[in-house]
Order: sequence, then structure tokens, then C-alpha cells
Amino acid sequence: MEHELTWGLPVILYLFLAGLGAGAVTVSAAILLRTGEYHGGSYFKLARYGALIGPIPVILGTCFIILELGRWDRAFNLYKVINLSPMSIGSWLLALFIICSLLYALVFLPSFLPRFERLSRRIFPIMHTLSWVNVPLGIGVAVYTGILLGAMPSRPLWNSPILAMLFLVSALSTGIAVIILAQTLSHLVHGKDPTVKTERRSSEHYQEAPLSSLGHRNYEISYLLTGSDMLLIIIELIVIFLFVMFAHLTVGNLKYAMAIILPGGEMAGMFWVWVVLVGLLIPGLMEMFYIIPKVVYGREFRIHEGSEVMISVAVLVGGFMLRYIVVVAGQVTGPLGL
Amino acid sequence: MTENHNTDNKTDQKQLDQDSSSTAGPLPCQAMSLQETEGHDRDEQSPARRSFLSAVIAGLMMAVAGIVTSLGGKLTLANVNNGPNNNRRKQYGMVIDVRRCIGCHACSVACKSEFDVPIGETRSWVEYVEKGVYPNVSRSFLPRLCNHCSEPPCVYVCPTNATYKRQQDGIVVVDQGLCIGCKYCLQACPYDARFLNPITGWADKCDFCTHRVAKGLEPSCVSTCVGAARIFGDLGDLDSEISKLIAKNRVTVLRREMGTFPNVFYIAADHTDELDARRPEVQTVRVLTNRRQQKRK
Repeated sequence: MEHELTWGLPVILYLFLAGLGAGAVTVSAAILLRTGEYHGGSYFKLARYGALIGPIPVILGTCFIILELGRWDRAFNLYKVINLSPMSIGSWLLALFIICSLLYALVFLPSFLPRFERLSRRIFPIMHTLSWVNVPLGIGVAVYTGILLGAMPSRPLWNSPILAMLFLVSALSTGIAVIILAQTLSHLVHGKDPTVKTERRSSEHYQEAPLSSLGHRNYEISYLLTGSDMLLIIIELIVIFLFVMFAHLTVGNLKYAMAIILPGGEMAGMFWVWVVLVGLLIPGLMEMFYIIPKVVYGREFRIHEGSEVMISVAVLVGGFMLRYIVVVAGQVTGPLGL
Repeated sequence: MTENHNTDNKTDQKQLDQDSSSTAGPLPCQAMSLQETEGHDRDEQSPARRSFLSAVIAGLMMAVAGIVTSLGGKLTLANVNNGPNNNRRKQYGMVIDVRRCIGCHACSVACKSEFDVPIGETRSWVEYVEKGVYPNVSRSFLPRLCNHCSEPPCVYVCPTNATYKRQQDGIVVVDQGLCIGCKYCLQACPYDARFLNPITGWADKCDFCTHRVAKGLEPSCVSTCVGAARIFGDLGDLDSEISKLIAKNRVTVLRREMGTFPNVFYIAADHTDELDARRPEVQTVRVLTNRRQQKRK
């Protein structure tokens, strides 16, 4: 393509990684809020995965975007003022989120060692408060990346109110995917747990494995994750449909810009194969394949580790390609006429 | 006193407590904090606690007022009711009479030398628009520069307030000490008038030669134009040459539908774009941008 990209790969990576991390922390904090109290169960472990993984991609992405600045040495200028620019509000949100998510990750650390259990129990209220803070902050960070792109009429493809929604849903979906991936990999590395076979569907009768045992597997948790990821994928498909359809139904700038990802456009193949097929349809259908027996026939939920890895990798690839295509397509299309 | 207001809350609050009723200050927050103090007088609280409470409340209000006023600058600019092109205000602008343009690039060169614009970048450039099928063809020129819009999208997206529209003359400038080079304004500009200066790393663009205008001179591109195609002046002054030209001629602006209210006007400009080649009567359009960016944005 002969076009020149003002925002290149670092920005694309940032949008992907910030969404991923914010999504993981939001999901983790939401799970922690759902359990309510400290009982060191599987839900707690799940929240721990999200809390510990989340801040890493966000900080990595932030490093990318700072290096993308023309004057990265002046990045602090962002914090000298606050104005109505989405980037200004977003950078304040991002800074707050990084601080809160790091603190949130920190309070989970004692739970790895059995001898710190009392400490871990005592700091649970802090954890709980932080998760109240992290849910809105995480959603804020995920949404602002879409608003950032959408704020300009000179970029018709981005100038859509539903783009921020698309980025939010994709962020939550990739956040869950990375938690699934971490959980499955940890399980595979630490070997199969013998307690799996004795597990019951309701966790009350079931003696939870201690928090320090990493490899233990609880299918109820997998069910929660896979099920919510499937719902998010369905929502994302609907949002993409609305995004594309409303642009196509108008006449003018937006229709012309959207033509690039519609059949016949320069980036159509890439969008429909990587984002829709690989990123959404394949993992969505795979999850449905495992979910339906439980939902419809009430069978116990079982999922193969290989499938879990495939699903999560596909969702992550789709999430990255979504950011890539939206950022590139938005920049190579402009308003009509002069 | 009002100047110190935001900077020194505590001393100000003491002053407010001392002169109890009479000085209702010009700022609304001052009046509000006075009301608060009076309100607490009716309550039966210990004086120390009362003054502490009112100090806290006043401090909070001042913080809110500070945020509101800092956002206020942007809000008033965005206020469309005010009329984006308020005639009473000074607003420098330019008329480009395309009939007089010979496409010689003297303006581009003058601009380059005036600002030492790095190789490959342009603050001002001249596009050639060729259209039609032989023998019915035409070629016209379109000199381009920053439009110094009355509703500048670049200003609204700048996260550090580095880019702003000058109150005194309506020129959109970049404060090169604040710009962090995030390139958000490059994305927001519908005219592709901005670039990231590869040497300094900050956003750069035409500034109507503020250093020359300050001394009563015309911008460099205007004074160098061999056909006198560029006319510079104050749009707010009805007796200026530029205002008369705009009144007497059919003028157009670029991308009017963007709602940016540009202050660079064209007489007899050909707005044909490469997309117009789809039209049956045009068929062939070639736009030579004469800059590194081979395509219009």
C-alpha cells in the first residue's frame, strides 16, 4: 500500500495489549466481587490469574506507545494538564489503572505461600476495595481506546460510536482468553491433578485444593470462563455486524471508508478471515460445542486442554487483528472529496 | 485578590472569614464559600471545627472551580452558539485566487526557506489537478496550507494543550515546548496540513508566519507569490482587501462538510478529487500533490 501510516505497529500493539490487560483485570476483579468473601477457592485462584497477568501487557503496551511519541522524553507533559481530549482523559485513566492494578496484583502475592494464609486473609478487604476500583478503571481503559480513535471526523471509519463498544467487548473477551490460557498452561505444566475425577458439580461438597497447588483443575471455573467468553463473542459478532451495517447503509464518507473491509475491498480478506472467522466464529463454535451439552442436556462440563489453548489463542489472534485492521483501515481511508 | 485565589487557598479563606459579609467577590465560588460560612454560623458548632469545615468546603469548591475554569477555555471554544466566525474578533485568513496561480511553487520554496522545513515535509504546497479526456482536458492548481479553522479539530484532540487557537488573531499554533509528538492532531486534521518534524520530534505546520505578521509583514508565501494569488489579512476588518474580495467573489473552502469553518478561502478552485473519476463526465482525474504524501488524505 502506498499510504503512509501516522500510527503504526506500536499503537496497534498498545491498543491490543491495553485492552487485553484491562480486560483481564476487570474480569478478575468482577470474579472476586462475585465470590464476596475470602474462602481461598477456585474462584479466588481464577481472580489471581487475571490480577497477576493483567498489569503486564498494559505496562508493556504503555512502553510501546511512549516510544512511539515524537518526544518520548516529554511524556510527562500529559500529566501537567487535563482537558477534554480523549487522549488526556485516557492517559490519566491509564496511569490510575496501572497503579491500582499493580497494587491489586501485589495483594494477591501472599496467597501463594501457605504460611502467609493469615496475612492473605487479613488483607482481603483491601483486595475487595481494589477490585471495586479496578472494574470501572479497567472498563474505562478499554473503552477509551475506542473513543480515542472515534473522536475525529477526518477518519470516517473510526468516527463511529460503536467502535468503543467493539473495543470494550474485544478487550473483555481477550482478557478472559488470556486467563483461560494461563490456567490451562499452568495445569498442563504442573500435571494432571488426581482430584479431578472425584469432583462434584456443586462446590459445597467438594474439598477445595489449597491455593498453593497450581495444577489443580476445577471444571466449574472453566465452564464460567468458557461460557462468558462465548457470550462475549456473540455480542462482539453483533457489534461488528452493526458497525459494518450502519456504515454501509449510509451514503458518503462512512460508506466509502467501510468499503475497504467489505467484500472487494483492500482489507476485506484479512478482516473476514482473521477477525471474524479465526477470532470469533471458530472459537465461538468450539465453545458452543462444549457448552451446549451442559446447558441443554445438563451433562457435566468437560473440556479438553488442547481445545482451551486453541480457543484462547484464536481469540487473542482475532483481538490483535481487529486492532490492526481497524487502525490501518482507518488511516488509509479518508473523507470523500476536497 | 482574585489572582491569588486559586494559588493560595488557606490565606484566602482566612481573609474571607475576616471580612465576613461585604466582599462578594467577582468569582462565583467565592460567593458560594461565603454562603457556606454563613450557613454554618447558624449551626451550633465549635468555632474551630466550623472554620476547619468551611475551609475544607471552600477548598473543595475552589478545586472544582479550578477544574471547571481549566476546562472552560475548551468549552467556550466549542460553543457553537457564539458563532464560529465572530466578526468582531480579529481573525487572520487568506484568500487564494486560483485564477492568478501559475503553479510555480514559489510559495512552497519561500515557506521551506523561511522555516527551514526538513526535507520531505511541507507546510505549504501546491497540488496540480488534471482531469478530463483529450481533447477536453484541464489542469488547475490548488495551493494548500493550514486552514486555521475556526473549529479546529486538532486543537480539540491535543492532550497537552500544546496546539491552540490564538485569542488575539485566530492563528492556530503549536507550542513547541509542550508538544509531545503523539500525532493525534495529524490524525484529526482533515487537510493533512500537519506533519511530525523528523528533526525536533514535535508536530509542525503553517502558522501564517507569526514572526512576520507580528512585525506588520505579510506571510512569506504571500509576499513571494508572483501572480499575487495569495491575499492575506484580517477577516474581522470589513475594510481589509481580503474581506472585500470575499464579499465580491464566489469563494469556497476545502471540506466544508467537515464543519471546521476554515479561514483559507479559494476563488475559482477546482475541488475535483481522484474519486471524481467515477463520474461519467470526468472519467480521468490525476492529482499531483507535489509533496512526499503522494495521495491526499
